[in-house]
Amino acid sequence: MKLLSTALLVAAAAAAVAATFLPLSELLIRLTPDQPQTAYVTTGWATHFGGTKDEHGPLFGIPAVVAAAAILTGVRWRKVAFAGAAALAGVTGMLFVYLLNAISFHKAGNIAIDPGLQAGFGNGVWVLIAAVVLAFGAVAVHPDD
Amino acid sequence: MIGRPTAVALIAAGVVLTATAMVLPWYSTAYAGGVEVVVRAWGTEVVNKPGDWPAGDLSPWYGLPVAVTAALLVAGIWVNRAALAGAAAQLGALGITAALVVSDRGHAIEQQGDFALGFGLVFLVIGTLTALVGAISVQREAA
Repeated sequence: MKLLSTALLVAAAAAAVAATFLPLSELLIRLTPDQPQTAYVTTGWATHFGGTKDEHGPLFGIPAVVAAAAILTGVRWRKVAFAGAAALAGVTGMLFVYLLNAISFHKAGNIAIDPGLQAGFGNGVWVLIAAVVLAFGAVAVHPDD
Repeated sequence: MIGRPTAVALIAAGVVLTATAMVLPWYSTAYAGGVEVVVRAWGTEVVNKPGDWPAGDLSPWYGLPVAVTAALLVAGIWVNRAALAGAAAQLGALGITAALVVSDRGHAIEQQGDFALGFGLVFLVIGTLTALVGAISVQREAA
């Protein structure tokens, strides 16, 4: 059981860190009708509008990596693993609320005018949710209690 | 060791502070012409909104995940582990909020806005840390 929980915790932490480098949301934007579509992509470390980087883009990766570190520390202590999994769930929940609003806002505004545009979650969100599930799974089989 | 009654009191204080944070402004930016963008737990309010501003019609409910973590904290008064889950999750949610605050502050300054932190965010930070100390103390008592 110790080996299984360790493997799951390491996988959860790795998935959480990997998720920060993947797109969290992808919005296709067209500034004027004759302009080509430009992708507005947010990751845990940067927000890009086409080739332009937002200098003040939110660094969602920092809390995610801190939670991943707590999950890794949980290899030794079950309660720390539990707290780390909960922290990652909190990170994911708040991030989901923010991204859902950004996507809904885009759909209600830009896409209502131009149905050729698109908006949606990036794979990073699904990997982050998978990391939370893995972390709680690891806690369930953790032998230290 | 601070004893279980004190630890539970800290969790309860954390809940009260968090609940107060839900009704106060978290942060705001004032722009020229009396326009002010106020971010709260249940939506962003734009005071003196110019006609061509898209912001404010649809805004994030940051209070939703915090309400869930606060409910876990309340459950934690009776169930030790729920308090730890609630406090840790609230700390995680606060981490995302901090990333957003730093980002919005950067954007505000870039656009010559006057950025200010609100009491809501101060209460949320103090409430989260208070609840976390209580939750960890309860765990230590139980061990």
